[in-house]
Amino acid sequence: MALDIETLVDLYRDMWLIRAFEFGLEREFKKGNVPGMLHTGVGQEATQAALAAHLKATDCFFPDHRCHGINALAQEKHQGDGERIMAELFGRATGVCSGKGGSLHSANPRVGNFGDNAVEGSYMATVLGVALAWQMRKEPNVACCIIGDGTVGRGEFHESLNMAAIWKLPVLYACVNNGYAISMPVGKGHASADIVDLARGYGMPCVQVDGNEIELAYVEVARAVDSIRAGNGPYFLEFKTWRWQGLFSGEFRPAEEVRYWKEDRDPIRLARQKISAQSSLQDADLDRIEAEVAQQIERWIDFAKNSPMPEPAKATADVYVGGEGLR
Amino acid sequence: MTATTVRTRTFVQALNEALDISMASDPSVYLLGEDIAEMGGDFGVTRGLWAKYGAERVRDTPLSEAAIVGTAVGSAMVGLRPVAEIMFADFLGECYDQLVNNAAKMHYMFDGQFKASIVVRTACGGGFGGGPHHSQSVEGWFLNVPGMVIVAPATPADAKGLLLASIENDNPILFLEHKALYRIKGDVPDGHYTTPLRKAAIARPGKDVTVVATMKMVHEALAAASELEKEGIDVEVIDLRTIRPYDAETVLASVHKTGRAVVANEAPKLGGLAAELSATISEECFRALKAPVVRVAGLDAPIPFSLVLESYILPGKKQVVEGIRSVLRA
Ligand SMILES: Cc1ncc(C[n+]2csc(CCOP(=O)(O)OP(=O)(O)O)c2C)c(N)n1
Ligand SMILES: [Mg+2]
Repeated sequence: MALDIETLVDLYRDMWLIRAFEFGLEREFKKGNVPGMLHTGVGQEATQAALAAHLKATDCFFPDHRCHGINALAQEKHQGDGERIMAELFGRATGVCSGKGGSLHSANPRVGNFGDNAVEGSYMATVLGVALAWQMRKEPNVACCIIGDGTVGRGEFHESLNMAAIWKLPVLYACVNNGYAISMPVGKGHASADIVDLARGYGMPCVQVDGNEIELAYVEVARAVDSIRAGNGPYFLEFKTWRWQGLFSGEFRPAEEVRYWKEDRDPIRLARQKISAQSSLQDADLDRIEAEVAQQIERWIDFAKNSPMPEPAKATADVYVGGEGLR
Repeated sequence: MTATTVRTRTFVQALNEALDISMASDPSVYLLGEDIAEMGGDFGVTRGLWAKYGAERVRDTPLSEAAIVGTAVGSAMVGLRPVAEIMFADFLGECYDQLVNNAAKMHYMFDGQFKASIVVRTACGGGFGGGPHHSQSVEGWFLNVPGMVIVAPATPADAKGLLLASIENDNPILFLEHKALYRIKGDVPDGHYTTPLRKAAIARPGKDVTVVATMKMVHEALAAASELEKEGIDVEVIDLRTIRPYDAETVLASVHKTGRAVVANEAPKLGGLAAELSATISEECFRALKAPVVRVAGLDAPIPFSLVLESYILPGKKQVVEGIRSVLRA
């Protein structure tokens, strides 16, 4: 199934937004403007763009640590203020969590972003409850959680898939298999390097997708979301992809592997080739999209930098709903 | 609505009434846990509710403690009011992350955008030969966690009123039910009422010494007070009721009055609730104190199986009496 050219160009723009966001962020991080730790989703843009394209503001997704991109995309698409994700990463009062969350804890339920939890995979348990509530209230929403291959090692993975299966919950598992968990190769850390093998026993549809081909990712997410909305229960998608970011200390993967993924399998380059082959759009048109997105991200960075810091005393606010008195 | 009739009820019946009342009045309340549906739970707290409210709202789960609490939290994020049962408090380790890193922090770290309005009920405490994995007092595991609420009733009336208040509250609540109290009886008002959270009760007024206690230790302290009354010693017993955040005002006012304090808690002494209370009393009442605060707590060991060994570890009336005598001597 081939996508129409407008959809493909939209997705191309979305993927660029993710990449430009991460590149801009990395630059500012290196300058010391962004505190904490930084995990980027560069190389994995197709998965995030495909998910963002099909999840509505009334659905939910639990983003993982490489999900600045989908967070920003959802924020921009549903609320028109993607810069508030940037501001959150800069620890500013204008951020989506007023600076309390940062890179690993950005949330905004109004756009379906139910928040990252830096304890990898913990929201695999949490997502069940959102899905259960929607099932009980007969709301045809999809509760998605995005996890890495390494996260499959958590006990919650199995508790979650089992419970979603026995209760037929509307959960979309989006597993981003980028080959490594920090330094651990997927085939060494798990009984199978193909995560679908581990998920299959729970009796839900398990589909492995080339996560660097936006068309394929888009189509498979559409199929999964339709199936879940139709009441068929949970669905497991494994996106085979690769992350450009190595370790904090540098690159650890073989040079040929790095070259292959960055040059031959770059999802943005692949999409660009496809668009050029299928339409009359010229390189210049696509370059223009790229430049527009780059400018947009610079505006977001300026917004973040120029935003006020939170009031220090806010650090003790909202520990309890209703304050210490628990009202 | 004010309650009128008062009946004699066990602690378990009182809890059951609270669940029944909240499920009848609020469709967003549902229960989940292991063997809680048709079977009614290991201790019978949910008995009859499955038949009355159906399998949708009284849900049996597999042995998946993280998924149980995770489900509770997730459903609360979109407006439900789950009451989860963790069969034994000792198993809270299996869902510790969900409680500590997720439920307790969610409202804070996401800047008030979500409320983790959950109640996790669990059976805690020793005294029946349950051994190392079915006897522990776990409040200390959670005491150091901002955002967590720990509720611990000592009487049937408070069990009902505190459970109703907990279900209606928007914070994540760990609701501790001491196994030794499940069969005790007491006066319980009919109908709906709440016992305020973060409000201690004066279980027995007195003027010579303050004993601050929780759950089963409240009863041990009351028994100690009756014994010492014969010698003319007038003991004030405070039932803390909410352990985190706790009602320091009531505790400190009592100690300012009596000038002597014993804190009684079944959990191990090192780093526990007794240590926290002792430190706060010492800090805040230093000038009023006529003697150092004494902690009556469990010994620093796992809880062994044999009853002889177990009773060596766990504190009771005897240790409270000794504690009171020692602060009076000083
Ligand atoms: C429960 C838990 N264990 C360990 C970590 C530390 N940690 C952060 S990312 C990561 C690797 C995750 O690998 P994967 O799920 O494959 O995601 P990727 O970084 O490859 O996208 C680890 C071990 C954590 N955050 N949470
Ligand atoms: Mg990985």
